[in-house]
Amino acid sequence: MKRIMIDPSKCDGCKNCALACMDSHRMDGGNGVVTLNFTLPETEARNEILNDGKGGYLPMFCRHCSVPGCANSCMSGALKKDMETGHVMYDEKRCGACFMCVMNCPYGIPKPSADGTKILKCDFCNERPEGPACVAACPKQAIWVEEV
Amino acid sequence: MAEIYVIVGTGAAGMAAAERIRLYKKDATVIMMSIDEHSHSRCMLHKFLGGERTEEELSFVEPDFFEKNEIHWGKAQKALGLDIQNKRIQMENGYQPYDKLLIATGSVFGIPPINHFRTASNVYGFRDLSDAQKIDAAVKAKNAKHAFIVGSGLVGLDVATGLMERGVKVTIAEMAPRVMPLQTDDIAAKAYQERFEAHGARFLLGIGASDSIINDQNEITAVVLSTGETVACDFVICAAGVRPNIAWLEGSGLETERGIKVDGHMRTSAPDVYAAGDVTALAGVWPNAMDMGRVAASNMCGVDTEYTDRYCMKNTSNFFGLQMLTIGDINAQVEGADIYVKESRNCYKKAIVKDGVLKSVLIQGDISHTGHWQYLIKNEINLSEILKRKEIFDITYGDFFETDDIGEYQYKN
Repeated sequence: MKRIMIDPSKCDGCKNCALACMDSHRMDGGNGVVTLNFTLPETEARNEILNDGKGGYLPMFCRHCSVPGCANSCMSGALKKDMETGHVMYDEKRCGACFMCVMNCPYGIPKPSADGTKILKCDFCNERPEGPACVAACPKQAIWVEEV
Repeated sequence: MAEIYVIVGTGAAGMAAAERIRLYKKDATVIMMSIDEHSHSRCMLHKFLGGERTEEELSFVEPDFFEKNEIHWGKAQKALGLDIQNKRIQMENGYQPYDKLLIATGSVFGIPPINHFRTASNVYGFRDLSDAQKIDAAVKAKNAKHAFIVGSGLVGLDVATGLMERGVKVTIAEMAPRVMPLQTDDIAAKAYQERFEAHGARFLLGIGASDSIINDQNEITAVVLSTGETVACDFVICAAGVRPNIAWLEGSGLETERGIKVDGHMRTSAPDVYAAGDVTALAGVWPNAMDMGRVAASNMCGVDTEYTDRYCMKNTSNFFGLQMLTIGDINAQVEGADIYVKESRNCYKKAIVKDGVLKSVLIQGDISHTGHWQYLIKNEINLSEILKRKEIFDITYGDFFETDDIGEYQYKN
């Protein structure tokens, strides 16, 4: 499977990845950060950069784990590990918004949407051929896609 | 001849097991039995009752799950007994032989010993789809306006939201002094109580039902409270606890305690008979049921697997837009423990720490990025060093960040 690999030592916390994620998931049909509305709750980023408290940064990106705690706790069948791509995909229409996945991901990755009706998590930009938007946007190659 | 794998029950444990068996055994015959006609997620029954989803939309697997996995599904089939000697299970329509058997029959709701509750025709549970269908029919047939619910746990509140959605007024009796007593403390409970009351619910806290009044059709028309007050109702719903569904195994010789007795491999006392999920009484939450199902299935297929991730005092809730996560006993009286509380307009947090180890946590409001709490509690991670430099609620997975050689996260020691 393809995974977004992480080298935290290269990350300088610019959050271009977060903007790219928001842009990739915007609902208004546009693209490019120039026209992106940063404040719309529905375009919230699925990734996050944490401060490590020592002057460095920790990129938090869904691992699409080999044993996915999120999918293994899903009571609606909305979260599933795709056996072909290896990615944990989310079907918003099935989701019952119980948030057991939020509790069961040991890394705290899936999160409730701002309106509390669904969750937000990485969808690998729906397997688009050019790869995930966050990776393309990283100026430091702190994240990259690798076959694992 | 192909080996015959039989699974009784199509809930979380049964379905997770079926998928796993098919993964390991391409040629085995897999047979599933269920009393319901729809495989459904019982955590979404309130969405059916509230009219938000159809029976089909309660399914937690793809519509072609049984065909795709070549599973024979005996719907509306009640298991009546187990014949360990001859390796067969007695169903309503005859005997089904097995080479390997998984019992995943879940649990059944209990009815409190209150006058008429066990004999009246309008007392329901809220456990299976058939329960929800009965309530749905009762609401329609009588144009019901008022329901009496016993118990304000997650099930009681779920059924309350479903009924309120339908315009049925609910009165909820709770023996404990607060709503959702296992998951809340007084402050968190109040926040939920206010939201439910704002939508028309009435709570009777610390008050039990002591008697009931029936009409000539054997229907309860009113519940009498321990205070003497009488509350009129169209029907009663019992949501005050469940017990493992093992009555049908009586006389089979299978060893049971509160539930079916299993070892770490989910093996029962009988050869080639396994059990998983609520029926084992080991845990009553969805993720653990699925885990147990997969562990049992792996062992049934000869792949040695142990059920190790047993922590089960965990839950999330989401009512009227207010989310909550609770891990552990948030009301525990722990000698010498530090209790941390943080309140803001939209969020309430509480944590109990003893000797640097987190015992329980409650987060109400925004529950984003809270997945690490379960890990820290169940693995009894010592937080003393971290607590010297930051506030407890600022702890994240980032404090333990590490990746392995294939890029998966893990916890740094």
